[in-house]
Amino acid sequence: MKYPFRILQTGCNTAYFNMGLDEAILESVADSSAIPTLRLYCWKPAAISLGYFQGIADEVDIAACERQGIDIVRRITGGGAVFHDAEVTYSIVIPEGHPLAPATILDSYSAICSGIIAGLEGLGVEAEFAPINDIVSGGKKVSGNAQTRKKGCLLQHGTVLLKVDVDKMFGILNVPKEKALGKMISDVKARVTSLSDILRREISFEEASEAMRAGFVRALGLDSREEAPAPEEVAKAKELAAEKFSTREWIYRR
Amino acid sequence: MKIEAVGKPPGCKLLRISAELSEPPGDDSIVKSISIRGDFFAIPEDEFEIVEKRLAGTRVAGLAHVFDALTAEMRIRAIGISGSGILATLRGAIDEISVQDTADRL
Repeated sequence: MKYPFRILQTGCNTAYFNMGLDEAILESVADSSAIPTLRLYCWKPAAISLGYFQGIADEVDIAACERQGIDIVRRITGGGAVFHDAEVTYSIVIPEGHPLAPATILDSYSAICSGIIAGLEGLGVEAEFAPINDIVSGGKKVSGNAQTRKKGCLLQHGTVLLKVDVDKMFGILNVPKEKALGKMISDVKARVTSLSDILRREISFEEASEAMRAGFVRALGLDSREEAPAPEEVAKAKELAAEKFSTREWIYRR
Repeated sequence: MKIEAVGKPPGCKLLRISAELSEPPGDDSIVKSISIRGDFFAIPEDEFEIVEKRLAGTRVAGLAHVFDALTAEMRIRAIGISGSGILATLRGAIDEISVQDTADRL
């Protein structure tokens, strides 16, 4: 059985537009004006996305982000803070009740992450799902994922790291007073990896996103067609970017 | 009194809690207000804020039960957070205050 799916490759955009487009796609799948959709994208400028329940002051050195031109956005999904720089980001929107959307959240994380695992396999990288929402290779995290369910649809988005600069990350994240910065950095370096570390070579966004696309198609059995977002979706994304995701009221809600 | 608590209890993601409690702080304190932040998931997300408001008036000792009952009543799917995790995190901070108070008196 192959499932009709739309694949969008939307390139690099601002954090606000990216989050706006994820939500716009959720709305169009929810009202059946679009079929289930996989999107592959990147971020420009680099940005931090906060989980819905995180406190901005807890997690981010806001002044450091401003100095370095790094945007801060709050996601509609829970989970932790993510620094979006050298990576492939995906989002997938599926109606609840669809065969590719298991009823339980933990099962659906596993099912959807199988697409990334297949994509990594295509690059010669062995990886496995690490509940609740991570993918690890050689015991180190290479992908984090976050899911919400709204309007009868499941939206999951996540990243596959192409490169990781832990020192840069800690230049913009807040470090708990109780912990020594040096120890935190070395802890994270021991627990997080990237495709360029694993493959021991540079890997472009284009090569990695093509591998992820092929992985999702293969693992989830997608009968896919490449499209551009509908003009209505782009307009909605811009509206959400301006009126929600870039607003102080939204970003600073916690 | 205002209290700040951070913890990663078993079965939970990182939790950060800001709470105002009646004095003296302890299991019999009443939660006047509470904000629960962290890396967890709760779907639907906007219902979680209602849970936080409805926790006001609860005794600290009853927090776990009330949180779990509210999330069940409101059909919130909570991943990486639980009533027992919230209680453990808050109790950890309360215990530190008690230890500090005792040390100050010695």
